[in-house]
Amino acid sequence: MMVRCQVLLGTFVEISIDQDDSQALDKAFAAVKQIQDLMGFHYPVSELSQINRWAHQVPLKIHPWTAQVLKIAQEVHKQSNGLFNCGVGHRLVSAGLLPRHMNLSNHQLGGIEDVHFLDSELITSPKPLCLDLGGIAKGFAVDKAVESLIAHGIKSGCVNAGGDLRVFGQSPRSIQIRNPVAPMELIDIGSLQNGAIATSGLYFTNRDQQQSHIINPFAQDESEAHINFSDSYSILANECVYADALTKVLALSSAIDHPCLNHFSAQAIRIAA
Amino acid sequence: MNWKPNPFAILGLAMLSAPIIAQAKIYVSAEQAQKILFPNKQLTKTPILVTDDLQERMRLASSIRYPFQGDRIWKAADGSWLIIDEVVGKHEMITYAVGIAPNGSVLGIEILEYVESYGYEVAEAHWRQQFAGKTVKDPIKLNQDIQNIGGATLSCKHLTDGVKRVLVLYDLALKPK
Repeated sequence: MMVRCQVLLGTFVEISIDQDDSQALDKAFAAVKQIQDLMGFHYPVSELSQINRWAHQVPLKIHPWTAQVLKIAQEVHKQSNGLFNCGVGHRLVSAGLLPRHMNLSNHQLGGIEDVHFLDSELITSPKPLCLDLGGIAKGFAVDKAVESLIAHGIKSGCVNAGGDLRVFGQSPRSIQIRNPVAPMELIDIGSLQNGAIATSGLYFTNRDQQQSHIINPFAQDESEAHINFSDSYSILANECVYADALTKVLALSSAIDHPCLNHFSAQAIRIAA
Repeated sequence: MNWKPNPFAILGLAMLSAPIIAQAKIYVSAEQAQKILFPNKQLTKTPILVTDDLQERMRLASSIRYPFQGDRIWKAADGSWLIIDEVVGKHEMITYAVGIAPNGSVLGIEILEYVESYGYEVAEAHWRQQFAGKTVKDPIKLNQDIQNIGGATLSCKHLTDGVKRVLVLYDLALKPK
């Protein structure tokens, strides 16, 4: 058995496998790093930053993984009737939660729905964009790390990106989630086999006295954009990318029976504070 | 996906039993971190004496007050360095290794240990002592298995500050003049 942890995607990424193979672990971490380099808002040279800068002016050729994330983001946007929207980067920039790479004040910004695919990896947008993939890329990275491990012959394991995790292989694993009232305490929620779980909670944000990063995409102005809650919202799904994205739908709607969840064969867990 | 819910959790009763406390995780040892960051390279332990002036400059660059210990530094013949350091925050303690290439760029960062607990405990020396000298082979505290902990994303800001101070150390004390 091997377990390693690296700092990627702004958090701690932990990978554990039930056999000894450090090369497979290196490859899996490299996949996560590639997603960070492609889709990180923090890096002015990332593909995401290029999209935000140029997509309204010229068609852009993008990496197949970025294309895949944007398509999934559009799918969840559509199924959630717009509740999930990655076009909220400017709100996070104004709140100081993301770095400011450009002046956004005099633009009418578009949302994820404004990304048009000219072909499978060529995009453009009629409006300037300020997309932030922070609500979906972590889950996608977990999936890609799992795919990489499987491709390198790993039979079972777990990839956990700061609390969004996926287990694969024959052996079920017990999963604990943090108690929103006392996040150092864990609640055993059962066992999971070949599945993913992601969670949205503001307990660390509140503890560290930061502005909420859960954004209402329909907000007309700054004052009503940041949503505050004290419960913890988790989503179980086959793939972590859907679990990650759907936690925002759940946290924003606080409806554990939101029709969107059923569409993606996902289940919700809400832990009341 | 095959999920077997804990029936007590569904009823909201899971907290009636003693809570499971999120705890220490030991990922790799110092030797393993060397092999991960510098495979096939021979490293020599090269401890340095950290002067007050250097300590102060590292503090200013990183805003970490906990003093840097100069005894976990290794050097390779080609001018690469490996530095092990820890950051002690209000809520966690993280031991990490930074590999630095001969040109001064960061080759990689590997987490050795992640310990979290209730606030004040982490900062107390005797509390930290219980983890000293432990290796990956020594399970410590409560659960011996690797826990799969879900929850809101943990911030790595403290670690980013830690890497900043290690780079200041490299710049002022290790880099060839």
